Amino acid sequence: MEPFIGGLMALADPQLLVLIFAATLAGVIIGALPGLNATTGAALLLPFTITMDPIPAIAILTTIYCAATFAGAITAILINTPGTSASATTCLDGYPLAQRGEAGRALGMATVSSTFGGIISVVCLMAAAPLMARAAYNFAPPEYFALTVFGLSMLATIGDGSPVKNLIAGALGVLAASVGKDLLTTVERFTFGMSELTEGIGFVPVMIGLFGISELLVQADRLTVERRQVIMKTVKLPSREDYSKVWKTILRSSGIGTFIGILPAEGATVASMIGYNEARRWSKTPEEFGKGAIEGIAGSEAANNSATGGAMVPTLALGIPGSPTAAVILAGLMIHGLQPGPTMFTEQAEFAFAIFWAMLFVNILFIFIGLFGAKLFARITFVPVQILWPIVFTFSIVGAYALDQSFLDVWIAIGSGILGYFMRRFGYSVVPLAIGLILGGMVEKRLGQSLIMLDDQWWLMFTRPLSLLFFALTFLALFGPLLWRRVFTQRDPLKSMGE
Amino acid sequence: MTRFAVPICLIGFCALAYWQTTQFDRVPPILLRGMQPADFPQMVLLLVVVLSLVLIVQAWLARGVEADGGDPGADPEPMTGNVWKTMGLFLVFAALAPVDLFLGLGVFAGCLAFLWGERRIVMLAVVALVAPACVFFLFDEVFEVRFPRGLLTNLWYG
Repeated sequence: MEPFIGGLMALADPQLLVLIFAATLAGVIIGALPGLNATTGAALLLPFTITMDPIPAIAILTTIYCAATFAGAITAILINTPGTSASATTCLDGYPLAQRGEAGRALGMATVSSTFGGIISVVCLMAAAPLMARAAYNFAPPEYFALTVFGLSMLATIGDGSPVKNLIAGALGVLAASVGKDLLTTVERFTFGMSELTEGIGFVPVMIGLFGISELLVQADRLTVERRQVIMKTVKLPSREDYSKVWKTILRSSGIGTFIGILPAEGATVASMIGYNEARRWSKTPEEFGKGAIEGIAGSEAANNSATGGAMVPTLALGIPGSPTAAVILAGLMIHGLQPGPTMFTEQAEFAFAIFWAMLFVNILFIFIGLFGAKLFARITFVPVQILWPIVFTFSIVGAYALDQSFLDVWIAIGSGILGYFMRRFGYSVVPLAIGLILGGMVEKRLGQSLIMLDDQWWLMFTRPLSLLFFALTFLALFGPLLWRRVFTQRDPLKSMGE
Repeated sequence: MTRFAVPICLIGFCALAYWQTTQFDRVPPILLRGMQPADFPQMVLLLVVVLSLVLIVQAWLARGVEADGGDPGADPEPMTGNVWKTMGLFLVFAALAPVDLFLGLGVFAGCLAFLWGERRIVMLAVVALVAPACVFFLFDEVFEVRFPRGLLTNLWYG
C-alpha cells in the first residue's frame, strides 16, 4: 500500500502535472500529424528525457504513448486516414458517420471509449504487474532466457508481413545487440577498431532512424496524397441511447485490449482489430458495421487504448516489451539505469506506481482534450508535410547526437533510417529489429548465465518446468498458426477439395 | 525477382559477418565460463541463414503466383524521384555536417522543403533557419548539450 500512495504523492508535484499535461498535448499532436505515431513520437522525444529524473522522463514517454494512440482516432474519423495504425478500424465506421454530419458524435464516442478503455487497463496494470513480478521473482537465468526467447518468438506475429521476415528482422536486431564488448568475456566484437562502438550500438539513434528517418523516406513516396477533412460542428458526448448500446462493447473491448496488450510484442493494432471484430460479432445489428455503427468506434477505440496499459505489464514486470512503443519506453528505462523486472516492484515500487498514476491521469485528461480540443487538433493534420518532415529531421539528428554527443550516432541514425526504409519496401517490419536490439543483450546475458549455472549442460533447461513451459509457448507461437491452419483445412470439406 | 534477391543478399551478409566472428579473440578454456564471444553471434547468423533459406523455398513454391497474395514486399513499386532526391540530400548533409552540424541541418531542411514543393520564402526560412536555431538553443541551453565546433556554432561558442 505504501508504494501505491507514495506513487500518487510523487505525482502530486505541480511541475510534474504541468509536464504531463504538456506531454498529453504533444502526444495528441503527434498522433494527429501525418506519418507520426506513438512509437515515432516516443523515439523522437527520448533524447529530451535524458537529462530529467526517471519519474518525469518515463511519465512523459508513457503519456506520449497513451495520448498519440488516442489521437489516431481524430484523423481516422475526420479525414479517413488513421493517425496511427491502431485506429485503422476506427475509420471503418468513424468516417461514414462523419460524412453523415455526425463527426462530433463519432469523436465523442471515440473519446469516451478511449478514456474508459485506458482507465480499465491502467487499473488492471496496477493489479497485474506486481502479481506478475511476484510470480517472476523466483525466476533463475534459465527461466528468464526461455521467457525472453518466448518474447522474441512473438515478433513473428507483428504487423501484416510474413512471420519469417519478422523473425529475420528480429534476429538481425539481436545480432546488432552483440556489437561491442562481450559482457562475460570483455572481448570486443564487430567494433572495427572504433572506440565509440565498445559500449555497443545505442538504442536512441537506432530508434530515431528506424521510426523517424525511415518514415521521412516513406513520406517522400506519398507527397501526392490528398487529404480532405469532413466539416465538424462540435464534439458532443454520446447520448444515453448510445451509452446503452455500447457499454457492453466498451467493457468487452477493454478486456480484450488489456489481454492482447499483455502478450509480448502484440500491441494496440491487433487489439483494435480483435476488439472491432468482437463488437460486430456480438452486435444486434452487425449489418451496420462499416456504414457508421457507433459500436464499431467503441469496440476499436476501447481496445486500442486499453492495450497501452496492458502492454506496460510485461514491460515493467518482466522487461519484455508489450508493444513497439513499449520497446522505446523500455529503452528509456534502461538509459535511466532502471532495471525493469520483478525487482522494480520491490526496489523501485514507488517509481512504478507513479508511472501507473500518471497513465491514469492522462486517461482522465483525454475527456477534456478530446471533447474541447478535437476540432483544433484536427487542423494540425493539415500541417504540410514539406514543412513538418524537415523539422522532424532536424530534431531526429540533434536527438541522435545529444545522448553521447557523438557524430557516429548521427550516422547510425541515418543508416538505420535508410535500412528501415528498404526493409519496409521489401515487406520487413522495422519493429522486430528494434525489439531484437533491446532484447538481444538480455537474451545473450541470460543464456550465458544459464550455461554457467547448468555447467554447460544446456539441455537441462528443458527439465525445469517453467522454462519448459516458455519453450512450449515459443513453439506454439512459431508453429501454432501453421498447425491450426492445417487442422482446420483438413476439417473444412470445401477447402480440402480445393474450392 | 526481389523474392530471391533479398534472402540471397542476407545469406551473403551472414557469410561475411560469420567470417568476421572468426576473427574475434578467443578466451582460453581454463578461463572460459559459459560461451566463447563468437558463439552467440554465430548462432544468430546461422538462424538468419536458415530463415533466409525458408524464404527462398517459399518464394520457389510461390513462383508464378501474383505477389500481392500475402507478401507485401515481394515486388515493390520502383522508388519515386522524391525518394532518390531525399537520399541525395543525405549525401549533401553528410558532406556539410563535418563543416558544421547546423549548417548541414539547415541546408538539408531547406532543400528538402523546396524539393518537396514548398515555394514560400518565409516557410523555407522557418524550416532552414528558425527551426535549426531553435533546436540548437533548446538543446544547448536547456539540456546542456555541447555541439561540435563548426563554422556557425563558433559564432555562439566564441
